[in-house]
Amino acid sequence: MEWFLNEFETFVGVNFWTMLFAWCNLLILYIFLKKFLFKPIKKMIDSRQAEIDGMYSDAEGKRAEADAMRAEYEARLSEAKEESEEILKSARRRAALKEEEILNDAKAEAARVLERADEEIELERKRILNEVKDEVSGLAVGIASAVIGRDVTEEEHHELIDTFIDEVGEKK
Amino acid sequence: MQFSFISALAELELSVTGPKIILRIRAIWEALTKGAENPDSMTRILAGTLSHPITQTTISIFLVTGILMLLGWLAGRKLKKRPGGFQVITEKLVSMLYGLVGDTMGRHNLKFAPYIGTLFLSSLFGTLIGMTAVFKSVTADLSVTLAWALVTSGLVWYNNIKNFGFRNWLKGFTEPIVVMTPMNIISEVAQPLSMAFRHFGNVAGGGVLTTLIYSALALLTQIIFGWLPKAALEVFPPIFQVGLPAILSVYFDLFSGFVQAFVFCLLTMIYVGAACPPPEELPERKKSKKKIEN
Repeated sequence: MEWFLNEFETFVGVNFWTMLFAWCNLLILYIFLKKFLFKPIKKMIDSRQAEIDGMYSDAEGKRAEADAMRAEYEARLSEAKEESEEILKSARRRAALKEEEILNDAKAEAARVLERADEEIELERKRILNEVKDEVSGLAVGIASAVIGRDVTEEEHHELIDTFIDEVGEKK
Repeated sequence: MQFSFISALAELELSVTGPKIILRIRAIWEALTKGAENPDSMTRILAGTLSHPITQTTISIFLVTGILMLLGWLAGRKLKKRPGGFQVITEKLVSMLYGLVGDTMGRHNLKFAPYIGTLFLSSLFGTLIGMTAVFKSVTADLSVTLAWALVTSGLVWYNNIKNFGFRNWLKGFTEPIVVMTPMNIISEVAQPLSMAFRHFGNVAGGGVLTTLIYSALALLTQIIFGWLPKAALEVFPPIFQVGLPAILSVYFDLFSGFVQAFVFCLLTMIYVGAACPPPEELPERKKSKKKIEN
């Protein structure tokens, strides 16, 4: 009976001292591992995670910034293109206007010059005609007086000559 | 050539430890059947709980604690932002632990993760140390598993009282109806006992089975080589003990040790987690009290 009980006790018995040691060791191990293993490693993981998260959000921010900048540049570029086109167009338009103006001016000028030339020619012609008329009439008077041998009054002469010239002119 | 099973066992008792455990099982049976008739036996068992301060288990406990402290210290020092191979594994395991605790108990209960990790490592290494054959498995001793289970119960009770109040905790025993009160009290007591016996039984049972197989294989050797002269038989090695126990040990020690450690931790997490609901699910009483305090 004695050894039966001994065996029973060692197999399923509960030894208070063993329990006490189990508790103490569990507590010591818990404090030790918490301080030297779990806390530092958890801290390390968390800090690395935080760093990675920070990096990612940083990169995200930078990318958004770059995107915004690119959009802005593109907008500016197209704006500049439009502007340059506008400038070119207006320049062309102005050039065309100027050209037309210059052409018109030139035409008008030419016309005016021509007109004036015509007038001058006409005047000259008239003047020359009058001169010729006078000359001819003088000549004719001279010739006539020489031919006739008598003096015809100046006035008669003129009358005569004018009619003559007119006749000549008409025949021409 | 003539030997009965019993005589073989008697002979084997000199060579392997197995029959001792077989006898122990018989002793338990006899103590249970005859103990009641003899009140003195129960007194002895009770007296035994206060005797023998240093048992084999105690030596193993200190050894396991020492090994784990050393390993923990080695694993936890010189941590780098850019980890080397060993640190990667350690970090993976620690983050797995925190993930498991977070999933089972909720993110607000992550403070329990170091305790769960300690419990798991203690249990696993406590079982595996039995494989040295020199030291006894820590978890093959009911004292240890009961001590751990009582810690779990203590945590559950403490957190229940802290979170719901002593009055509500006591009132919880009468739910859903008052008649259920004895049942609830029994289940409250059964909880640590079942945890302790489950872990203890699996590890100790594995040991018993391994020992049984060892003795059976030794017997097999004797039967097969029984034609040898008696003098030769006495020095003949039990060769069938090589091989099969190693494969079984993978299950009974490695796998079972791992699973039992995991189950024990999981139960602890579930029980304690139920006692620590998320802050927003706590009853109104606590919140209002806090407000007044503030």
